[in-house]
Amino acid sequence: MDFLEFLFAGFAVFWAGLFVYLLWLQARLRSVQREVQRLEERLAESEKKEAAEEEDAAQ
Amino acid sequence: MSARTQPADAASRRTAVRLALLALRPVIAVYDVRWTLLPPLTGAAMLAMLVGAVIVAPREAIEGEVQRIFYIHVPSAIAAYLCFSVVFAASVAFLWTRNMRFDAVARAAAGVGVLFTALTLATGAIWGKPIWGVWWAWDARLTSTLVLLLIYSGYLLARSLSDRGDVQAARYAAVFAIIGFVDIPIINLSVRWWRTLHPEPIVTRLPGSQTLPDSMLAVLTLGIVAITLLALWLMALRSEVEQIGVRSDDLRGEMDRREAQRSGAA
Repeated sequence: MDFLEFLFAGFAVFWAGLFVYLLWLQARLRSVQREVQRLEERLAESEKKEAAEEEDAAQ
Repeated sequence: MSARTQPADAASRRTAVRLALLALRPVIAVYDVRWTLLPPLTGAAMLAMLVGAVIVAPREAIEGEVQRIFYIHVPSAIAAYLCFSVVFAASVAFLWTRNMRFDAVARAAAGVGVLFTALTLATGAIWGKPIWGVWWAWDARLTSTLVLLLIYSGYLLARSLSDRGDVQAARYAAVFAIIGFVDIPIINLSVRWWRTLHPEPIVTRLPGSQTLPDSMLAVLTLGIVAITLLALWLMALRSEVEQIGVRSDDLRGEMDRREAQRSGAA
């Protein structure tokens, strides 16, 4: 009466749950990092454009 | 409000932030070593726990080998309680200080707490099937744990439907999280208050009553340490995601502000 298949299932569910959660967390981390990078680039571009416009206006 | 009371309010708020940060110092200390010390330490402890649970721990005389699920089931439940305690402390700190960093910590801890509650219920069901003959019973402890899962899933859902920077939504969520925390003592005492299928605690019994053998207790302690470290690491990771998300919202706000200014000027 050892029910080894249930023991295996219990450990498998535990490790699979952790693994899936870590994968999801990593995907979210990458996605928000990419988003921040994209926004920073857009902001820098817009700053450059504004500076150029100000320079043109001054001339 | 008079001009004389404003500095006093600001000073008391600063004191409140300082006290809240002092209370959360252990969590902050873990956060500082989240990329260096914590991952290898967690990995080593998890490996040791696995070896301890599967090989070192003695076979239980009545339930047989399936009882080894105990070494992941109980630590998972303890890790869930720890996460929800962090949610509780961070929610109180948020209501006290109105600092959105505490809201981010609460959201991060709630996510990890929900994971460990789900793992506790899943491993419990797999253990229960061969021993009780059923996957699930509407037993007081099982039901109150399911309620805990639903409470904090609802908290996460409500928080994900509002903006990260929405102070009012964060305030309602903090109140909800604090009220939800009441379920934890109910879960703990449920096996004493009602007749349940779930066994009574065997580690924290009164002196003189039958407790766990030392060899099993050692493996259980190792499991609690390993899964607590894992929970702390996951909370730190999730907190990082939340903080980068806040930065992303700030940048988006700045972009919108500039675009509005430009279109106004045009």
